[in-house]
Amino acid sequence: MKAKRNLTTNSAILGSLVALLVCTMFISLRVGALGISVGQIVNILLHNLGFDVAEVSARDSAVLLSIRLPRLVLGVAVGGALGISGAALQGLFRNPLVEPGIIGVSNGAALMAVVVLVFGPSLALFLTPNLTTWLLPVAAFSGSLAATYIAYQFSKGAYQTDVTILILAGVAITALCAALMGIVIFHSNETALRSFTFWSMGDLSGASWDKIGFAIWLIVLPAVTLIGQSQSLNAMALGESEARHLGVEVEKIKHRIILLSALAVGASVAMAGAIGFIGLVVPHILRMAFGPDHKLILPASAIGGAILLTVADMIARTIVAPTELPIGIITALMGTPFFIWMLASARKKRIQI
Amino acid sequence: MKHINLFSISAACLLLFSQCGPANTTSKSTENSTPDKEALKIVSIGGTLSEIVCALGSCDQVIAADKTSTRPKSLQTLPSVGYRTGIKAEGVVSLDADIVLAEEDHINAEVVTQLQSTALPIHVFKHELNVASTKKIIAEIGKIINKEQAAKELVATLEKDLLSLDSMISLTTTKPRMLFVYARGLGSLSICGKNTFAEELIKMAGAQFAVDEIFDYKPLTPEALVAANPDYILFFDSGLESLGGIEAALQIQGMMQTTAGEKEQILAMDGLWLSGFGPGVGKAAIQLATSIHPELAAHNVAESN
Repeated sequence: MKAKRNLTTNSAILGSLVALLVCTMFISLRVGALGISVGQIVNILLHNLGFDVAEVSARDSAVLLSIRLPRLVLGVAVGGALGISGAALQGLFRNPLVEPGIIGVSNGAALMAVVVLVFGPSLALFLTPNLTTWLLPVAAFSGSLAATYIAYQFSKGAYQTDVTILILAGVAITALCAALMGIVIFHSNETALRSFTFWSMGDLSGASWDKIGFAIWLIVLPAVTLIGQSQSLNAMALGESEARHLGVEVEKIKHRIILLSALAVGASVAMAGAIGFIGLVVPHILRMAFGPDHKLILPASAIGGAILLTVADMIARTIVAPTELPIGIITALMGTPFFIWMLASARKKRIQI
Repeated sequence: MKHINLFSISAACLLLFSQCGPANTTSKSTENSTPDKEALKIVSIGGTLSEIVCALGSCDQVIAADKTSTRPKSLQTLPSVGYRTGIKAEGVVSLDADIVLAEEDHINAEVVTQLQSTALPIHVFKHELNVASTKKIIAEIGKIINKEQAAKELVATLEKDLLSLDSMISLTTTKPRMLFVYARGLGSLSICGKNTFAEELIKMAGAQFAVDEIFDYKPLTPEALVAANPDYILFFDSGLESLGGIEAALQIQGMMQTTAGEKEQILAMDGLWLSGFGPGVGKAAIQLATSIHPELAAHNVAESN
């Protein structure tokens, strides 16, 4: 009876979150540097679905469909992937300080990104322009996977993967990548440095259907697959040996979660730059609000991450219009005070975080 | 129920936010009427392009510019589309301009692609930072904004400046060594090496480029400075200001071991004028030449032109 009630509450919460996300997405389409009214948006969307509606402005239509919509889709995917990966890794490590970057993903990607930005122009002579635009995301993605793989290899013992060593190895790899980045930056010119600074603060504005068409699967598929791990994560919350007694294949789950998170976050970072904070804080906020059940927290973190990033993007591109702020600044500015407030009130109420 | 409240509050906030967005610009339907070429509304991205547009007499048609558009100063009171990597497509589209002029390295390639998809006419210029390129761009812009006659006159003025420059340089008896230092505070000093605007301009001014083995921008080290041993050191106005003036510049390590430091021969000029290779490049070179060739003052060449 109790389980059934939980299920209904969970679906109610998830349902409301989805409703909020849809609401946010629509508002995000509506606001921007260029004013497009709700009526026009509906017309443009209907027009493109083949309905015969009133004439739509070609310019508004282009802005909506080839600038705003792709970045909205990318934002939802990236926010979702960061949120769910954060939740899964925190669950796996049973450590609330973990965020996707801690296993080396972000800095591995950043290192390869800065290499491409600094040395790419000399490579560009050998590549077609089409390949050049792909070079950065592909390099960043391989960098993130490589860094995680190295950290993971250190933590792999004879019988089991030691998550503490994985975190420490991740920290070490992150520091090493930072040092190597320093060397590359030393050789960079101002243009490359500026591009890298912006990249490292995150940016969704480069989204185009071409890029998304391919990369979205690398972000969404692993993220969705992570949802399926919630039962095992709940069991592992009791401790690894207890989970083993419950029949959970602990090692397999560890591999799977690390691989899936690295894929989802790596692809996200490759497409949108390093957007911090979401993977760390969204799961926390949801856990404080709704309790630690991974069946709820994993999908809720995905939706929560998507909402947060969509709202942040909306602010980033309107607050200083006609130009834009890097999105990472907004996520941190919005989320940190809220997070600290939640921590403070949780302490007052003596809630276990 | 508590949760539902949380959601309705957030939803309400979001709705409120959506109403607070920037004012709904009443969009002019550019599709229906061909815009009058005389009154084209221009967004100009890149300091040199903006300077050219203004020199052609169309400054009042510029409705927005980027942060590098500093000449004339009035451009900086216009809405700014941002600075290089920060320039985004939707912001530019929202200005409701008729055309966008942009310098290639002042705007990301993907932003150009996005702008093209909105059917907003955008002209991207590759500026090679030499006089030939300047003349070409002036002519092209003249054609685009329907100021062809003015463009011809502007090119003629530039050519006249260059002739005066040539005749001045032919009178010089020395070829001082000059180094350009890009400064953004004492912690961020770079030597401007070969393949940069500085090499071209310093040679135009009848000076000798003080570094032979340094390409592009490299961090300034005291040893490199001493090894270059320039007679003059040139800064942007803003660069020298960022250091705290000539006195502060003389404190740079290694500076006093150079002729420039010893004789306090530190120069500073407007950044865009110096590096932009705009319509005033000839005059900029003349100004630089007169400040490093004392013999020219005696001949009074500058005044005779």
